[in-house]
Amino acid sequence: MNLAKSSYINEVSEGEKPRSIKLTKWRPYLLIAPAIIVFLVFFIQPIFYMIYLSFHEWNFISPDKTFVGLENFIVLLSDPMFLQVIRNTLMYTFFTVLLSISIALLMSIWLNRQGWMYSFVQGAVFSPHIISLVSIAMLWMWIMDADYGLLNWVLSLVGINKVPWLTEPNIALASLIIIAVWKNIGYYTLIIIAGLQSIPKHLYEAAALDQTSGIRRFTKITFPMLSPSLFFLTIIGILDSIKVFETISIITKGGPLNSTNTLVYYIYENGFIFFKIGYASAAGVILLVILGILTLIYFKALSKRVHYQ
Amino acid sequence: MKTSLPLRLLNVIGLIIVVAIFAMPFIWMISTSLKTLGETMIFPPKWIPDEPIWQNFMDAWNSGPFLQYFINSVIVSVGILIFQFITVIPAAYAFARYEFRFKNALFGLVMVTMMIPAQLIFLPVFLNLSEWGILDTLWGLILPFATSAFGIFMLRQTFKQVPEELLEAARLDNSTDLKIMMKIMVPMAKPTLITLGLFNFITHWNDYFWPLVMTTTEKARTLPVGIAQLRQVDGGVAWNILMAGNVILVIPILIIFFFAQRHIIRAFTYTGVK
Amino acid sequence: MTKIQLKNVSKAYGNSKKVIDNMNLEIRDGSFTVLVGPSGCGKSTTLRMIAGLEEVTSGEIWIGDQLVNEVAPGKRGISMVFQNYALYPTMTVRGNIEFGLENMKIPKVERKKMVEEIAEIVDLTEFLDKRPQNLSGGQRQRVALARAMVKKPKVFIFDEPLSNLDAKLRGQMRTELIQLHKRLGTTFIYVTHDQVEAMSMGDEIVILDKGNIMQQAAPMEVYHNPENQFAAKFIGIPAMNVLPIAMLERNIGKMTDGRIFHVGFRPEHAEIQTAKQTTSGVHLPCEIMTMETLGSETLYLVNSDAGQFQVKSFHNPLMNTKKVHVTIPFDKLYFFDTQGNRVYTDGLPFEWRDEKVREEVLV
Ligand SMILES: Nc1ncnc2c1ncn2[C@@H]1O[C@H](COP(=O)(O)OP(=O)(O)OP(=O)(O)O)[C@@H](O)[C@H]1O
Ligand SMILES: [Mg+2]
Repeated sequence: MNLAKSSYINEVSEGEKPRSIKLTKWRPYLLIAPAIIVFLVFFIQPIFYMIYLSFHEWNFISPDKTFVGLENFIVLLSDPMFLQVIRNTLMYTFFTVLLSISIALLMSIWLNRQGWMYSFVQGAVFSPHIISLVSIAMLWMWIMDADYGLLNWVLSLVGINKVPWLTEPNIALASLIIIAVWKNIGYYTLIIIAGLQSIPKHLYEAAALDQTSGIRRFTKITFPMLSPSLFFLTIIGILDSIKVFETISIITKGGPLNSTNTLVYYIYENGFIFFKIGYASAAGVILLVILGILTLIYFKALSKRVHYQ
Repeated sequence: MKTSLPLRLLNVIGLIIVVAIFAMPFIWMISTSLKTLGETMIFPPKWIPDEPIWQNFMDAWNSGPFLQYFINSVIVSVGILIFQFITVIPAAYAFARYEFRFKNALFGLVMVTMMIPAQLIFLPVFLNLSEWGILDTLWGLILPFATSAFGIFMLRQTFKQVPEELLEAARLDNSTDLKIMMKIMVPMAKPTLITLGLFNFITHWNDYFWPLVMTTTEKARTLPVGIAQLRQVDGGVAWNILMAGNVILVIPILIIFFFAQRHIIRAFTYTGVK
Repeated sequence: MTKIQLKNVSKAYGNSKKVIDNMNLEIRDGSFTVLVGPSGCGKSTTLRMIAGLEEVTSGEIWIGDQLVNEVAPGKRGISMVFQNYALYPTMTVRGNIEFGLENMKIPKVERKKMVEEIAEIVDLTEFLDKRPQNLSGGQRQRVALARAMVKKPKVFIFDEPLSNLDAKLRGQMRTELIQLHKRLGTTFIYVTHDQVEAMSMGDEIVILDKGNIMQQAAPMEVYHNPENQFAAKFIGIPAMNVLPIAMLERNIGKMTDGRIFHVGFRPEHAEIQTAKQTTSGVHLPCEIMTMETLGSETLYLVNSDAGQFQVKSFHNPLMNTKKVHVTIPFDKLYFFDTQGNRVYTDGLPFEWRDEKVREEVLV
C-alpha cells in the first residue's frame, strides 16, 4: 500500500521532468524580448542615428556622408526662417494649450452633471477627437474658405465682413490654433470632468457648512484639487501641439510666407522635399531636446505626486 | 436647490449652441458632399442641396485606387492590432509578475519610448526602411508599431491588480505560465484589452503622418493619405467631391463611436484619469 | 507515505532577516495539524514553502519519501485553500473545479464525471454554471474546497480559510472540515491565528513564534503541559497568568530552585472566595478591580501584592465584595526559567512557610 503510493510520486516526477524553478530565470527576458526589440530598432536606434546624421551633410542620393561638425546647427540657428519656425511653433503651442485648457475648464464645470442631456453633449464635444486629422483639416479648410465658407457666413449674420482666414499671414496661424482648440476641447473637458468627479464630496460639504461663496469654493477647493489633472493636460497639450503636422501639411503647407511653418513640418520639408538630411536631422535634434526637457519635467512631477499619495 | 425657469431655458440654449459648434461642421460636411459643384459656390450657402448628388461618392471613390487604399488601411490597422497583442501581453505580464535583473532599467526604456513621438524619428526610420528595402510596403507601416509602450504600461497596471493568490492557485493546479497568462490574466484584463484595441484601431485607422511619409507610391497608401490627395486632383478644389471622400473616411468611426461611446471615451481619456 | 518533513529549513525574503530559522518539523501522515501563532510569525511562509509557492533559503522539504525542493508546486500532490478563496473570476464554478484536472491531462469525459461527483458532495450541483461572483461567501468557500478535493491530493493545506466568514458560518464550516478530514483521512495542514480554531480542529498543534516552533503536541497536551511561557500564554482563554517570583515570594516563601524566574497558573484554576480557605495552595488576599459576567462563568481582574491577574470562576458572581481570597492549588502551578522555558520540579520549589505567618500579613 505504502509502496504503491510512493511509486506514484516518483512516476509523476520522472514522467514529466520536474520543472525546476531556476529554469524559469530566462523566461521574463523572453517575454519582453519582442517588444524591446521593436523599441530598440524603431525608436531608440533612430534617435542615435539622427544625432549622428545631424553632424553630417548628406543628400540621401550620394553614397557618402561628409562630417561637418556643428555646422548644421550653426546654419540652423542663424537662419531667420528657422527662428521664425521656432517662434511659430512656440506661439502655436502656447495659445493652443492655454485656450484649450481654459475653455475646457469652464465647459467641464458646466457639463459635469448627470443625465442623458449632459452625456450627449459631452459625447458631441468629444467627437472631433476621434476623427482623422485629415478630415478635420479638410473640413476646416472648407469652413474657413474666404468666399463660400461656413464661418464667414456665420460671421456675416452678425455683420462681420469676410475674413481671409487661411491666406493672410497675420491670421493663418491663429486659424490653425482655432482648429486645434476645437479638436482638443472635448478631450480636455472629459479629463477635467474626471478630475472633478474624483474630488471628495465631503470637502464641499464642509465648505457649504462654512457658507463659502462659489468663487472661493472654486479657488480654495476645486482648483487646487484639479491641479494634477491640469498639469497633466498642460504637458500632454504641449507635447501634442509641438509635433503638429497634419493641419499644416494639408491646409497651409507652412505658408503664407512661412507664417505657419512649424518644427515638424520644417523637418519634413527639408528632409523630404529638399533632401537636406543632415540639416533636417539637426532640427530634429532640437526637437529632441525640447521633448526631452518636457519629459523630464513630467516624470519629475509624476514621481513627486506618487510620493505625496 | 431649484433654478428658475428662465435660467434653465438659458442653460438648454447654451447646450444647444455648444452641440452646434461641434456637430455643425459634420452636418456641413455631409451637406456639401451631396451638392453639385455649382451649389458649393453660393453665398450665403444653402444647407440643403436641391437634389442630393450621390454620384459624388462614386466620383470620389473612383478618382483613385480607393479599394486598394481601403484594403491597405484594414491590413495596417488590424495588423498593428494583432502584432501589439502578441508583443504587449507577454511584456506586460513579465513586467507585472516577474522579478528579474534590469527590470527597472528595461521598464524605464518602455516609459522613455512612450514619450517618443513618430514625428521625432520619422526621418532616420525612413532612411532605415529604405536601406532594408521595406520602404513603401505595408511592413513599413506595421512593424514600427508592432508594439506599444502605452499598451504595456496600461496592461501592466491591470495585471498587477490581479490578486497574487489567484496565480498561486493556478500554479498549484499545475498550470503552465503560458496557460496562466492566457486563461487567467488575459480574460481578467478583457476590459483593458478592448480599450487598448479600440484606441489603437482608431488611432492607426486615422493616421495620416506615418503612411504619408513612409510611402512613395500608391501601392501601400492608406485611406487618409488617399483622401488627402483628392485635393490635388485638378486645378480648383471640388469641395463636394472632397467632402464626399471625407464622409467615407469619417462615417465608420462615427458609427463605432455611437455604439461604443463609453469604451472609446475610456480608451482615449485613460491616461488622464489615472 | 505522505508524512511531511522539514529539515533545517530557513527562509529569508531577499536580503532581510530570516523569518524562519532552522526549522525542523514533522507532520504525521493523516494528521490534522494546525499551525498557530501570532500575526507575522511565519505560518503562511511555512505553508507556502511546503506548497512550493516559496523557495526555501536552505534546508530540505520532504513529502513522503521524496525531496521536493526542486519540484514545481503543481507536482507536489498538494491542494491549497486560500483565505480569499482565490477562485478564477472569469470561469464558472465548473471551470474552476475542472482547471486543475485539465492541467493533469485527464480526459474530458472522466473530468466531467469527477466534477459532477464532487459538486454533489459539496452540494453545489445547481451552481455549476454560475460564476463565483454570484455566490455567497459560504458557497465560494465550498467551491474552493471542491477545487482542492477534486484533484485527490495527498495533502491539503489551508491558510486561514475561515477568517472571511461570519461567526455562524465559520462554526459550521469548522465542523464540516473536521468531518471531511475524518472521511478522507488525508493529511491536513491548517494555518490560523485563532486558538479556538486550533484547539477545536487539530489533532496536533504546532505553535510558532518569530519563526521558531515553540511546541508541537496534541491540543490538550499543550493546554495541560505547555513547554514554555509562550505556549502557556498562547493557548487558553483568558491567557495564563504569569507572575515574576520576586513578587510572589512574599506570599509563598523563598524559592529553593534557582532556575525559576516566573510562576504561572491558569485563571480557571484559581479559586476565588470571600473567606480564607484551608485547602493547600497559594493563598493570596486580593482586591477585585473589574468583573465581567458571562453567564455560566465570571471573569475577575484582581489586584494582590503579588501583582494583577485574572481569575475565571464558574460560581455565582461575587457582587458586593471588594476584598477576596484567591487560592491556587500547588499542582496547578507552572514554573518558568529566565528564557521562559518550563522548569519541571519534584515537589515544591520553595520554602513553604507556616500558615500563621500568612495570617499576620492578612490583618
Ligand atoms: N513576500 C514577502 N517579502 C518580504 N517579507 C515577507 C514576505 N512575506 C512575508 N514576509 C515577512 O515574513 C514574516 C512572516 O510572514 P507570514 O506571512 O509567514 O506571517 P503569518 O504568520 O502568516 O502572519 P498572519 O497571521 O498575519 O498571516 C513577516 O514578518 C512578514 O513581514
Ligand atoms: Mg498568513
